[in-house]
Amino acid sequence: MSVTEEPGKPRNLRERLNVLQDRIYDKLFHNYIWQSIFRSGYPNTPRNQMLVVATNVFLHLHPTRIHRTHVKITYTYCLGGLTFFMFIVLTITGVLLMFYYVPSVDRAYQDIAALETNVKFGLLMRNLHRWTAHAMVILVFLHMMRVFYTGAYKPPREFNWVVGVVLLVLTLVLSFTGYLLPWDQLALWAVTVGHGIGGSAPYLGDETQIIVFGGFEIGQPALIRFYTLHVIALPLLAAIMMAVHFWRIRRDGGMARPL
Amino acid sequence: MAVEAQRQASAAPARPRPKRSREEEVLVWPNLVFIEFISAVLFTITFTILSVFINAPLLNRANLNVTPNPSKAPWYFGNLQELLLHMDKAWGGVLLPTIFLGFLATIPFIDRSRHMQGVWFGTKYAARITVITVIYATVVIFALVSFDAGESTGTERLTRWIPACAESSEDVSWPCLRDEVGADHLGIVSTKDISKRLEFEVLGVKWPEDLDHIAWPFNDSIGDWDLGGIGLGSIHGWGGEHFNIPSIMAEQVIPLTLVIVVFPGMIIYTLFRLGWVRTRRDVLIVMFTGALTSFVALTLVASFFRGQGQDLIWPWKIKVDEG
Ligand code: HEM
Repeated sequence: MSVTEEPGKPRNLRERLNVLQDRIYDKLFHNYIWQSIFRSGYPNTPRNQMLVVATNVFLHLHPTRIHRTHVKITYTYCLGGLTFFMFIVLTITGVLLMFYYVPSVDRAYQDIAALETNVKFGLLMRNLHRWTAHAMVILVFLHMMRVFYTGAYKPPREFNWVVGVVLLVLTLVLSFTGYLLPWDQLALWAVTVGHGIGGSAPYLGDETQIIVFGGFEIGQPALIRFYTLHVIALPLLAAIMMAVHFWRIRRDGGMARPL
Repeated sequence: MAVEAQRQASAAPARPRPKRSREEEVLVWPNLVFIEFISAVLFTITFTILSVFINAPLLNRANLNVTPNPSKAPWYFGNLQELLLHMDKAWGGVLLPTIFLGFLATIPFIDRSRHMQGVWFGTKYAARITVITVIYATVVIFALVSFDAGESTGTERLTRWIPACAESSEDVSWPCLRDEVGADHLGIVSTKDISKRLEFEVLGVKWPEDLDHIAWPFNDSIGDWDLGGIGLGSIHGWGGEHFNIPSIMAEQVIPLTLVIVVFPGMIIYTLFRLGWVRTRRDVLIVMFTGALTSFVALTLVASFFRGQGQDLIWPWKIKVDEG
């Protein structure tokens, strides 16, 4: 299926460019390696377009068709999707930060400082991680508001709303556990405020401080707890809950619209 | 056969779905995938540019011996830190937020109508009551916060008409406010004054001095059962050896009744009488909007209006003492 089937001599520059363009296209997309990854070309018929969504591992989170009103930007403002996107960016930048960070009170601060100055793009990665984390918190609230004001929590989506509330809490806790890791004054004292709040829990104040913060003062036990929660336990839990969340959207018959 | 069909009909979940009509549908590829892709690209670009120009903060190395003033929680918990200033810590920091989350989680189980799902502001007056509630809750929160910082905002003047207690007060029967010796007379400076500075006497019982150490009836144990062990004492004023009724009033009953019952009740009742709140959904809109607006307003106060010692001041006057 080569595009250059009828060679014929190109007569002017324009035709020459066309030929060049076709050659490049051929080389890029009709070669052995590309076709081993993407089994078919650009899906340009409705049938193929549905197939690509249904069979691609990433795209199959979606249904193949969707109601017209749901792709209007002013319906969802993409907020759920963007929250998820922030989560992905945070995972990627977070993994890169982990390469340079040791969760020890003796090293943590130094590691962050070194990351900013000695590591190529280290500062950029840290900034991205920080700002997208704030954005995720804001976006998850906005997404909740969109769902609420469109009445999209109504039956049969009650349970998915509850999953959402869990995701909201996870997002906040993820953000809070990350706050301690740079081990600077901002981190320490902000978490100390949280430590005090946890300590005022009725019946369980001391237990909260000991179990969650590792003692009555913020130190190494708190740092290692927050680190472990922040880099593995909570993201894993959040990813699982997101999987449930997305799966339920499909199970509940796609997104809400008037009966 | 008929029985079988009936059984199936009754077993089938009563969960109608909107009808699918193919003409109303579009293909996810390209229509949705394109939008997702573009918004991802836009966000990536925006945040990359932002991150090139604005650096994440990194202060001095953590030092437990040096306390910055003010110390602030991350902004999304600033609202809780703010609540701590106005009521009992257990309520402000733990119980009220838990109630808030519990409320959020139960919303779909309270409003179970399927009516008008999937459209923005589905009920007739939804948009109107949302806007009104946002304004109302903002005003209420800022008013309450100012009232609780009566000396710096001057709201204390509103209650100056309450007389000062006589210096040697053997019989105070009328309510009066006790001032520090030699100081000018002040009105109610914060809710805490209700347990600390307000004094009166009813039927021979003096507030607060006769009521702030009422013996816990069972003296913390019933027979062999030790009540101290369940830790009621961890909510300020409760259990332990004594009840402290004035402090329970000032730090728990009054603030909580105001924010959970009185202010929400007033707006819901008013909007109901006006005929704008008509369904459960409407009530929930007022509650959700009110709670979320208060949350935001408290966050703003905590982030921009709290200076050293958590004093209420203008944003441009905040100075951070790094310790
Ligand atoms: C990490 C957090 C979250 C992620 C990544 C997420 C993601 C999504 C996405 C991608 C959708 C598809 C529609 C859209 O984009 O609006 C969605 C729908 C939904 N979300 Fe979330 N969400 C999160 C948190 C929440 C929260 C906090 C709530 C509510 C408390 C919630 C409740 C719902 C419900 C009920 C739907 C179905 C909406 C409909 O049918 O129109 N989600 N979510």
